[in-house]
Amino acid sequence: MAKKISIDPITRLEGHGKIAIFLDDAGGVEDCYFQIPELRGFERFVVGRPIEELPRIVTRICGVCPASHHMASAKAVDGCFGHQIAPLALKLRDLYYHAHYIHSHIAHFYALAAPDFVCGPDSDPATRNVLGVVAKVGLEIGGAVVRARAQAQKIQQIVGGRTTHLVWCLPGGVSKGIKKEELDAIRPMVDELYDFTQFSLKLFKDVVLGNPAYVDLILNGPYTLDVQQMGLVDENNAPNFYDGKVRVVDFQGNEICKYAPEEYTQNVAEHVEPWTYLKFPYLKKRGWKGFVEGIDSSIYCATPLARLNVADRMATPAAQEAYEEMFSTLGQKPCRALLAQHWARLVEMVFDAEMLRKYRDDPEITGDAFRVVPDRITGEGVGIVEAMRGTLTHHYTCDEKGVCTSANLIVGTTNNNAAIHMVTKKVAKAMIRPGAEPTQGILNMIEMAFRAFDPCFSCATHSLPGQMPLEVRIFKAGEPHREFRRGC
Amino acid sequence: MLSARVRTLLLGMGNPILTDDSVGVRLARDLARDLEGVPGLEVVPECSVGGLNLIEVLSGYDRVLIFDSVRTRGGRPGDWYRFTAGSLRETRNLRNVHDVNFATALALGRRLGHPLPPDEEIHVFAVEVEDDATFGERLSPALEEAYPEILGEVRRDALALLGAGPPS
Repeated sequence: MAKKISIDPITRLEGHGKIAIFLDDAGGVEDCYFQIPELRGFERFVVGRPIEELPRIVTRICGVCPASHHMASAKAVDGCFGHQIAPLALKLRDLYYHAHYIHSHIAHFYALAAPDFVCGPDSDPATRNVLGVVAKVGLEIGGAVVRARAQAQKIQQIVGGRTTHLVWCLPGGVSKGIKKEELDAIRPMVDELYDFTQFSLKLFKDVVLGNPAYVDLILNGPYTLDVQQMGLVDENNAPNFYDGKVRVVDFQGNEICKYAPEEYTQNVAEHVEPWTYLKFPYLKKRGWKGFVEGIDSSIYCATPLARLNVADRMATPAAQEAYEEMFSTLGQKPCRALLAQHWARLVEMVFDAEMLRKYRDDPEITGDAFRVVPDRITGEGVGIVEAMRGTLTHHYTCDEKGVCTSANLIVGTTNNNAAIHMVTKKVAKAMIRPGAEPTQGILNMIEMAFRAFDPCFSCATHSLPGQMPLEVRIFKAGEPHREFRRGC
Repeated sequence: MLSARVRTLLLGMGNPILTDDSVGVRLARDLARDLEGVPGLEVVPECSVGGLNLIEVLSGYDRVLIFDSVRTRGGRPGDWYRFTAGSLRETRNLRNVHDVNFATALALGRRLGHPLPPDEEIHVFAVEVEDDATFGERLSPALEEAYPEILGEVRRDALALLGAGPPS
């Protein structure tokens, strides 16, 4: 007779998100802590290895945004070799990266954001998922979503040779270019992706903006933070995901600083709290002032919305139109309504698709001068790109033989750690009222707060069950009061 | 042996440089050598994608053998479990922070008409691990010690599975 064993996966010891909510005597929220795991030892792991190997290793840091790490790492390695790089390689890397962005943003919007808005934030948890979305919007749209993702992935495969664990970027360029026949294969996919991004934008307008309750939730709910904004921009202060300078503006739109990657240590520092392994980056020149909102706060967001908030314009026409419409509708720029992240992602997708078109039509893109072999080692490099979920910094040093001597990373989500912590607390305070017993619904309303950041914690591990378990513990008078669990 | 008409995928899941998280990849690589020449068998020894991407990874196969790591309450490193996708209860209703989970991806893929294997032909071999949060190329000592026995047992089951004929 078969033995029945129930497996209760916890993934790893600290492997699930924990939200600890402390209630005061009246039953209101006194404090709230959001804790997540962090992978350990990467900096130690890479020391002693040839520096040019790092872009190939870092793709294993994260299963969700491996290309972001690959690109940031490649740029840092380029720095270690004196920034000698083939101009065509910059275009090819950027082309790849825009396809990667679309691939990621589609997943977030349709699988994670849409359930809250298409099905409703308080709908039955059993149907508040991508299957519920498909049931509402139809199989045809569901199929289009999967198809668009597949096309974005196919473009990455054609351009970079692989979809996930890239071995493509080399010091001075990339290992392969695009042949004319490969460009011909990409050509129709680019047009289809552009149409899909426009469709997604329209869907958002119809479903979300067409519902006054959702607009009210976005603009007037507790999902707002008065903190500063960060994003990578080009020379015209338009968003650039692969290259440029990091611009920081306050939430009233005043520029605080604009720095080159090499200047990051002068502008960003990391605060440590005893209750979590993950650090809290802050604006160094302002000093750590705690988890506080306000015009003088040193906390910042580095998110899709932040990228648009710090920008003066978009670099492409359709994205510019979408950008203007978004801020005009929201009635504020910078916009502090965190749920508007979902809209910002769609504007970014339009930009991505337009950039794919631009490169597709570039007569130089099929050239063969895609790498220069560096002839010197300068020993230090900083690479910054915009990962989908925030500004990503890789900083390496190497010795005269090109062997890595140090590495420091500030990953996308870490930038937002303080903001996530703050908004989680803010939403918990708004949702848990004195005298009213918290319900399961609190889990989703709180999750909506940090899910807007598209956080990516320790995603390099793929242990079952393949999702980040979440645990919400509520303490009253210091004692455990209630507990909600999901997948753990 | 398995008919060549039946397409079988042997899939190693995990991160090869994250200590015990690599155990599924190592098992897939070791078993691939044993199973070389089995008709209709394809091996992807290292897969680290999840969520919606799995629809494409699994599409077109009649049967899948997945090797992965797991941590359970009270589990001992080296324990291993075998179950099918039909046992992934509850998870369908829940969402990952960034992507959908395995059960949801399967359900969505089927609803959209992708040729995915049935739940009972998706066999998961999950090994209990100790450390999957530290970067390193070796298994933890406890798991390394248990590995030869795990490999022997998993190999026995996998071979039996592949010799059981085409899915009914």
